[in-house]
Amino acid sequence: MATETINHKWGMVIDIDRCTGCQACVVACQAENNIPLNTEDRFRQRRAIEWIRVERYWEGEFPNIKARFIPILCQHCENAPCEPVCPVYATYHNNQGMNVQVYNRCVGTRYCANNCSYQVRFFNFWEPVWPESLKNQLNPDVTVRSRGIMEKCTFNIQRLRKAERVIEGQRGERITDENLKEGNFLPACVQACPTDTLIFGDWNDPSSKISNLKEKHFVDGGRGYKLLGDLGTQPNVIYLKKVDINAEHKVDAHA
Amino acid sequence: MGITRRQFLKWSGVSAMGAVVFNGCTTPEQELQVESPVNMPEDLVNGIDNWYATICRQEPEACGIIVRVVEGRAKKIEGNPDYPINRGKHSVRSEAGVQALYHPDRLSGPIYRDSRNDEFREISLEEAHNLVLNKLNVLNSEGQNDRALLITQPLRGHLAAIASEFSSGFGGRHMAFEALDKVALRKSLGRVFGQSRLPKFDIEHSTYLISFGADFLSSWVSPTNHSRAYGEFRQGHAQRGVHVQVDPRFSMSAANADEWLPVKPGSEGILAMSMIYVIIKDGLGDVAAADNLTGGQGHQALEIFSNNSAGVIEATGIDGARIEKIAHDFANSHHPLAIGGGSAGASANGSFNLDAIYSLNVLVNNLNKEGGVIFNPSPPISVLDNDSVSGAGMPSSYQDWKNISQPRVVMIRGANPIHGLPSSAGFSNILDNSEFIISYSSFMDETAEKADLIIPESNYLEDWGDDVPEPGPGYQVIGIQQPVVGRFHQGTVNFGDELIYYSRFLGLALDANLGLTEGSGFKELVEGSIRELWSKNSGSVRSSDFDAFRQGVLQRGGWWDVESGAKIEEMSSNLLDTSWPDVSFVGTGEYNLIPFLSNSLGDGNLAHLPWLQAAPDPLTSVVWNTWVEINSKKAEELDIIQGDILTVESPAGSLEAPAYIHPGVPPWVISMPIGQGHVSFGRYAENVGVNTISLLSEVEDKGSGSLAWAANKVSISKTGRHIDISKFEGNVPAFEVDEQRIIKIAPPESHDHKEHH
Repeated sequence: MATETINHKWGMVIDIDRCTGCQACVVACQAENNIPLNTEDRFRQRRAIEWIRVERYWEGEFPNIKARFIPILCQHCENAPCEPVCPVYATYHNNQGMNVQVYNRCVGTRYCANNCSYQVRFFNFWEPVWPESLKNQLNPDVTVRSRGIMEKCTFNIQRLRKAERVIEGQRGERITDENLKEGNFLPACVQACPTDTLIFGDWNDPSSKISNLKEKHFVDGGRGYKLLGDLGTQPNVIYLKKVDINAEHKVDAHA
Repeated sequence: MGITRRQFLKWSGVSAMGAVVFNGCTTPEQELQVESPVNMPEDLVNGIDNWYATICRQEPEACGIIVRVVEGRAKKIEGNPDYPINRGKHSVRSEAGVQALYHPDRLSGPIYRDSRNDEFREISLEEAHNLVLNKLNVLNSEGQNDRALLITQPLRGHLAAIASEFSSGFGGRHMAFEALDKVALRKSLGRVFGQSRLPKFDIEHSTYLISFGADFLSSWVSPTNHSRAYGEFRQGHAQRGVHVQVDPRFSMSAANADEWLPVKPGSEGILAMSMIYVIIKDGLGDVAAADNLTGGQGHQALEIFSNNSAGVIEATGIDGARIEKIAHDFANSHHPLAIGGGSAGASANGSFNLDAIYSLNVLVNNLNKEGGVIFNPSPPISVLDNDSVSGAGMPSSYQDWKNISQPRVVMIRGANPIHGLPSSAGFSNILDNSEFIISYSSFMDETAEKADLIIPESNYLEDWGDDVPEPGPGYQVIGIQQPVVGRFHQGTVNFGDELIYYSRFLGLALDANLGLTEGSGFKELVEGSIRELWSKNSGSVRSSDFDAFRQGVLQRGGWWDVESGAKIEEMSSNLLDTSWPDVSFVGTGEYNLIPFLSNSLGDGNLAHLPWLQAAPDPLTSVVWNTWVEINSKKAEELDIIQGDILTVESPAGSLEAPAYIHPGVPPWVISMPIGQGHVSFGRYAENVGVNTISLLSEVEDKGSGSLAWAANKVSISKTGRHIDISKFEGNVPAFEVDEQRIIKIAPPESHDHKEHH
């Protein structure tokens, strides 16, 4: 198919002032990506797989208690610590800003997971098992990962590839926020998120919502920040701070 | 075709309530486009997928969903972007619908046993029908028709009409089961607002939201709708909304609030009355409303609720200055909104609490105004008018269940009262003493286990239906449910068709009353709805051609008319009950037991789905279990650590569950989720956790007969045993370092804080 290649750089803005901790993103991701069933045993062994998770931090204690929620997924770092340590080039950075795991290259050294600053890589300690009838739900567009393979958030690359074929290949249009949404091509977590905490788009598209939010919030007094920004990993996911009506009284030294 | 779906959404953003008309109603172009395998890269083999719009039946909210179907199998559920209730969003609970569809323990066809000690055996549908009709005929011939009892979940749409026609036509009884029934809430809304339908709470446009006990972001009334609105409430407008949560428990909604008031259980109404007192005394509310509420006596009538009185401070645990500030902030805000429910309505004085809370809205006159309480009109099709506040759609209260007279034949659909009612209701005995029990459950749950005959129902993704959402969005909506996949198990049935079949055999007037012709069934009734909507030539889909109209309605998952808002009627006198309420509890234990509905499992009706069992509780992150939330300081005092198995004892019984050490729960409260403890409900639910409902004593809200499920006092003791509690916390090592906070905080954007009133 001879189509003009359009350069995208996919990314996400996460506005934690909107997040209520409802877990819709977590389950949507599992439904889309054939993630093995997280049984009780897997939680006890600390081996549950959640490509996106909602972390909850306590602050203070009763009665002046706060619980803060933050969704955390692969930050798709431009300068990803997980990439150079893979001896077989199973983890690499693609030309669209995504950190990609090549399952059939992975030999399971787990070096990448060790080196990830965000703890978002998950190892398949077992062969995934589903009862026969539940296999009917599995997404045919996503590989089921076998035992010994590392897996992680893909930004639902299967949906983006399809968007490229449909929007750019067939219609000859550029991918925009609008047509991603319209065709159900957004990552499943973004599409589910009831409060619009998760916003996905193309950093290379100056009219995208994420580009606008970055422009608005990465200025003095803006709410934008990067997770563990000082590490220099250059994430393609950025966060907007939680708003607290009492915040002026407790100045955040690192804000 | 000039209108794309995206344009539709853009337009709906511009208009006040999402108004758009699909004139001519042809199919939006991209909805017909399917992936061509010819254009696939060589190394990628992809099936063709189609998306169909339908209605989610996993929870009472019944969101509009679109389902991705590949080669005849449902793969993924997303929110329907067109549907007014959830506008493209969905919850954890909706997502897992596909697991209910392909669940390995689904019943595949009718099963029967001759005696309750026998094993079930498979029978044909014809045999099953004969059994049902024989039993009903016996009642008929003996003139004991009133001893037939039909139990369903609260129904809406045509199914409600059929169930009501069937039971009244036969002369039997129909009861609607809702675990932790919200009868008190419905009755209070009816009393305070004089409305017969649940109103929409316009959280999105509110500027000051105060919620009393209602965990509206997790489980209360319409959580997906509330969550979508909440995102906008926070960051969608120039001014960020302020949210205050008055809650005896540190709920998910409390965790998200700007301010949490850990009020003493049962005293929510006293706090609301005290706010009313302050607002009237300081001349902040609507003068006519204040007169209406106090019978013209003003704040003097409410002197006992003065925010500075020792009684109020003692009862609520909140000091007078704080009450005054909240009352002022509420009344001075542009768009104040007060909601209440959950534990606030579930004490012995629940109705008093709810009346006081909802009267706050009357006092600030936010009725039918943006950011306030928006009333819902009656549906456009009269047979679907099943109002649930004052009429036929009202669920049965705990009192009704307790006073049930012994039936002979019981038919149960979509309800599991054996799990969901406390044993004090004595419902287990009622079933044991019934001659014949027919269940329509898709799974062998605790109630189905008592049945003689099970005729499993099809899954909602396999069948037709319609819905009048409750609460609606402030205008008329009819949701249409269509089969998105063929039946996975051929032996399953449509419950509506079953009742139609029985009615015909028994010679009831159901066909005539609902306008059904011979040979037609439930699907034709739904089609009838669509035809009636077509004839109105108004609303979101219009066409001169019926087929095009029908297609348009099915593609969009329903029909709505944003011009159809409810008119505000003359408010009747809403005199407040100004006497001091009797806040009483059952039991002598040290702690108030505040149970709560699980964020993922609901009341337990979704406990059979592994994604939902594995979805961490938002606050504790516990999975696959029931836990006991205990204050961290208190636990330290009692030498209790995380995972210690505790015995929780109430007058109704005792349970053992692991402790979760919780920094947010008040020291006087023990909190436990509801939903687990199934002895039977498929492999993923059985023997997981305990059933918290079994701790609930026989105590009712005096005003409504609802179960006062937050009015129990319990004691706790250590068993000496300990487990590694299964939770997500700790699965991933914390990566926060001292120098780098993961969650950063900002003050609100500076803008003019002064408000006008």
